[in-house]
Amino acid sequence: MNSTCNKDWKKIARANGLAIPDAALERIAASLDALEADFRPLARALPPETEPALAFRATLAAEPEDAE
Amino acid sequence: MTLLEAAAALRRREVSSVELTAAALQRIERLNPSTNAMQTVMAEAARQRAKQADEELARGEGRGPLHGIPIAVKDLFCTKGVRTTGGSKLFEDHVPDHDATVVEWLRAGGAVLIGKTGMHELAYGITSSNPHFGAIRNPWDRDRIPGGSSGGSGAAVAAGMVPMAMGSDTGGSIRIPAAFCGVVGLKPTYGRVSRYGAMALGFSLDHMGPLTRSVRDAGAVLNVIAGHDPRDETSSRRPVENYVPDIEPSIRGLRIGLPENFYFERLDPDVDAAVRAAFHEAESRGAEIVPLPVPDIAAINTVARVILMAEASALLEPHLEQRDQFGADVLALLDQGRLLPATDYINAQRLRRAMQREFARLWLRVDCLFTPTSPVTAPRIGETTTTIGGQDEDVRLASTRLVRAINLLGLPAVSIPCGVDRRGLPIGLQIVGPPFAEAPILRVAQALVPAEVPVPHL
Repeated sequence: MNSTCNKDWKKIARANGLAIPDAALERIAASLDALEADFRPLARALPPETEPALAFRATLAAEPEDAE
Repeated sequence: MTLLEAAAALRRREVSSVELTAAALQRIERLNPSTNAMQTVMAEAARQRAKQADEELARGEGRGPLHGIPIAVKDLFCTKGVRTTGGSKLFEDHVPDHDATVVEWLRAGGAVLIGKTGMHELAYGITSSNPHFGAIRNPWDRDRIPGGSSGGSGAAVAAGMVPMAMGSDTGGSIRIPAAFCGVVGLKPTYGRVSRYGAMALGFSLDHMGPLTRSVRDAGAVLNVIAGHDPRDETSSRRPVENYVPDIEPSIRGLRIGLPENFYFERLDPDVDAAVRAAFHEAESRGAEIVPLPVPDIAAINTVARVILMAEASALLEPHLEQRDQFGADVLALLDQGRLLPATDYINAQRLRRAMQREFARLWLRVDCLFTPTSPVTAPRIGETTTTIGGQDEDVRLASTRLVRAINLLGLPAVSIPCGVDRRGLPIGLQIVGPPFAEAPILRVAQALVPAEVPVPHL
């Protein structure tokens, strides 16, 4: 299987209800394809146990143990 | 005059804040028409504040080295009662009812806010050729860009309008203008300086920091703006320290990383020579140069771009139906961000964690890394591609190639002038340290920055 394939950005835009003119989509397609080609292999190689670098606290206020 | 020189002159009563402010306003009046560095000048408010600062100083109520010093902030820092545009037509009439934390703390430190500096639209680009408020021009060569997105801050400091202007850095936006304008630009560790009240571009990538004429000035400003702010959820509680290095600090025994891959590929030869000369200078002062491989920076840059595009587009989504309110380059980036699936954003944040762990191992071997800030010196206004080593490269991607990864990793980095190219344009050296190593990187920067930083003839 190819590690990357070009996406149909116009179809994706329409499916998502995005009002991006076709001419604008044509201008950015090459840039998005290049980003896809660079990013997709990295994402595929991620070990499942790797958590995202996002923080969420169950309480709204910072807790004392947050102190560094 | 640097900020700390002006502060010393103020303390000796050789000059007053009113005089410093008047001189800054005169310089802005003379040089802003040709540079467009200042977006908004707050002349009357600054004069009043300067008078007040002089009175406080006369009563012995000094608030520190910034007291009475005229400064500027990038036009994305909210300023109570003063227009804050973010370089965007969307916000051309936006007048906040509060100050950003950075502005509040600078004012509390006695600084005289003289104006707001121009910037790349929405901080989303590096040329500062703003379609709504005009191109900002590099004081070294007004046909060239000052870099961006904090282009007005870089130009204002280089032109001697103010000794310090605040910038923000999401993918190099403090360090690139610092390099192109021949000034010092400090991007602190993520969480070290509050983001509250600064218009966001990429929540998890935005950093606030100063552009100055000297390394010690950057440290003096960090002393005022660093610290925990409960209004910024990502603000660190780690204690602050004194960030102003000695005048002649020792770097004997310091281990400086010389990247064996990525950072010295595809450079303008003058940039390559100037940065390598900085290694020799450091070695001659007793530092140990450690050649070593660095993690895959191209991959880190890719991940940073995915995160930035997703965060910026999410943030600006409510405005994206008003397509005529955006410049073409910014709109193209925002459109791209809307087309990325949520899974890409999450996976990019997972990759970020893995890359952070991998990069952390580097700090077991070295105390800091030296790299060029930009592979090229300031491009001409309107240029979209630059040629390096016979290869064409997009100006934005080339300019951010060596700095963007550091935003993803949240590491502190400073760009200092390290020479000029064959055309006389400034070259920047980037010094990167481990998390919260602002004081050590400013120490090494101070040891290496030329005693007389070249300034443009204006």
